[in-house]
Amino acid sequence: MLLAKTLTSSTFRLALIAIGTFGVIVSAIFSYVYLSTSSYVRSRSDRAIMTEYSSLKSAYERSGRDGLIGLLQQRIADGNLADNVYLLADSSSARLAGNLGAWPSAATAADGWIEFRAPEPLPNTTMPPLLRAMSGTFPGGDRLLVGRDISELDGFADQIKTAVISCVVLIFALAGVASILVTRRTVGRIEQINATSRAIMQSGLDRRIPLRGSHDEWDRVAENLNLMLDRIETLVGEVKQVSDNVAHDLRTPLTRMRGRLERAYHGQRVGEVDQSLIGDTIADLDAVLRMFASITRIAQIETQARMDAFRTVNLVDIASEVVELYDAAAEQDGTSLTIAGDRELLVTGDRDLIFDAIANLVDNALKHGRAGGRVIVRNENLDGGPVISIADDGPGIPLEERERVFKRFYRIEHSRYTSGNGLGLSLVAAVARLHEARIEMLDNAPGLKVRLRFSPPAG
Amino acid sequence: MTGGHRRILVVEDDPETADQLVEQLTTSGYQVDLAASGNEALSRGAACDYAVITIDRMLPDIDGIAVMRQLRDDGIAAPFLIISALGEVDDRVRGLRAGGDDYLVKPFSFVELLARVEALGRRSDTIVKETILRVGDLAVDLVSRTASRRGKEILLLPREFQLLEYMVRNEGRIVSRAMLLQQIWDLHFDPSTNIIDVYVGRVRRKVDGQQAYPLIHTVRGIGYCLRAPG
Repeated sequence: MLLAKTLTSSTFRLALIAIGTFGVIVSAIFSYVYLSTSSYVRSRSDRAIMTEYSSLKSAYERSGRDGLIGLLQQRIADGNLADNVYLLADSSSARLAGNLGAWPSAATAADGWIEFRAPEPLPNTTMPPLLRAMSGTFPGGDRLLVGRDISELDGFADQIKTAVISCVVLIFALAGVASILVTRRTVGRIEQINATSRAIMQSGLDRRIPLRGSHDEWDRVAENLNLMLDRIETLVGEVKQVSDNVAHDLRTPLTRMRGRLERAYHGQRVGEVDQSLIGDTIADLDAVLRMFASITRIAQIETQARMDAFRTVNLVDIASEVVELYDAAAEQDGTSLTIAGDRELLVTGDRDLIFDAIANLVDNALKHGRAGGRVIVRNENLDGGPVISIADDGPGIPLEERERVFKRFYRIEHSRYTSGNGLGLSLVAAVARLHEARIEMLDNAPGLKVRLRFSPPAG
Repeated sequence: MTGGHRRILVVEDDPETADQLVEQLTTSGYQVDLAASGNEALSRGAACDYAVITIDRMLPDIDGIAVMRQLRDDGIAAPFLIISALGEVDDRVRGLRAGGDDYLVKPFSFVELLARVEALGRRSDTIVKETILRVGDLAVDLVSRTASRRGKEILLLPREFQLLEYMVRNEGRIVSRAMLLQQIWDLHFDPSTNIIDVYVGRVRRKVDGQQAYPLIHTVRGIGYCLRAPG
């Protein structure tokens, strides 16, 4: 199964192409080495034969046939020249002198280079050797043949040939095995990822790709895929949570409306009762519609559809307007709502959205702060960036809840019966993300301080 | 106000919504013409002088804003009320308010629609030249930016004065919460809290507290109306 996948994998095919190309190049280089080596060795031996032939020829010219016969006998007796063969024959190719029994048939007709197997072994060999020889005819009709035993040269060339061929075969074999192993490994890792993907499609998002701990690129891919799966799992969980909450928040007013209408439908028409029933139903419907509007609005902000409305705005002006708007509400609760800090903090953004975000934070501070307490909106430059903080002196938010409050419909008390729809802080978070502002939740000891840390306006 | 100025063109392709709109506006004393498509709106709009034209943003043939542009190019000066779904509120729609037109986000209440149509239709009518506005025993001095009842000054913050001035200018007409947010705070969204009510509540305590009769009245589910008794 794995082997079949290995053989059909694209990595393996690529490896085969690489091996093929590499093999052709290596074979070409080795053939060149073999051919040039053997021709070099052969030409050296040919030169030696030629030199010997010339010196014997000049001895013949100098001292005649008998002088050459003497010289040949000397040479044959010389142990250093045991590899050489000599043959002097008359014009009818009959042997006059030399260590070769008869004129070779291959050289009977013409003079020149010949290669032939000796009819009988030379004195120092057991097998009849392979000879390479040069023959020529002197002006008197006598013929001289000078040759050498080239069995050894041939053996040398054969050795090189064997070495070259076995090298090439070995290279091919090793490369083949290596590419199968590498491909198997790659295919194995990919198979793991595939298997996990299939498992996720079939059973659920909780599966993860196993890591090998090798910290190689495959582990990194697996790690990143796992992180992506974590994120997707979280998001899917959130979506589920949100739809559960939406369903819950919708069920309450819808059930109320349904009950009311049903009772009216079966009951008597009484103008005054009907009037108030219709009024209540419209109010409930409005609450439902407002919830949808909030969801749409957050979705719109999150898709960054409003970046085109960005201007340079003074954060302090917006904050002052929010404080002024909420002043009456604070007065009603007996809470003191004040603004403090710098007079001008410029940020690039959408006034309406920033207003909405600050308004939500002030609203929360008034709602969740201590009755008769203090809410302070402070504008300041912190570490070079404009920062607005909204602080109350109420019970605050426990550390472990701080991340979660920005999720849609999240409410600390896990009760869905207090006012507000739990979308306020998600809207703040969405606005902050759009403005690339950071939200920090700090302990105001006592109370909560929420900071919006903007980046300074560009230019 | 002449009859011609109570004439309204409603451009709406959904028959039921169109029926409801026509009925509501007719009940409120308007003479209503209906166009079911952008092309029909173009021919009707150019043929008659309307006080206000309400138009759905999503028409089967032409975009509501394109119809508005076309009629403007043809020299039609009537103010437009564009009715748009929330997801379609883009900069072009938001920009309408700056140009003397208005938009309303679906779904809306008819009271809100009426209030908007009233406000738009009035714009072309009258330009108040007085420097002191009076409703019953309330006097609002636009020059010194002060208000008083029976000669006794009411202490108001600048924004509170602005709110009172706006309500006095719209004496006898409904002003919705959304209209107040737009006019007084220049906000184009619904903060989905009762913050406006609390704010108006404080102005009302200052204006109506310990007086012979109240001037600011709550209109349930929509907003407020400032009027003298009787």
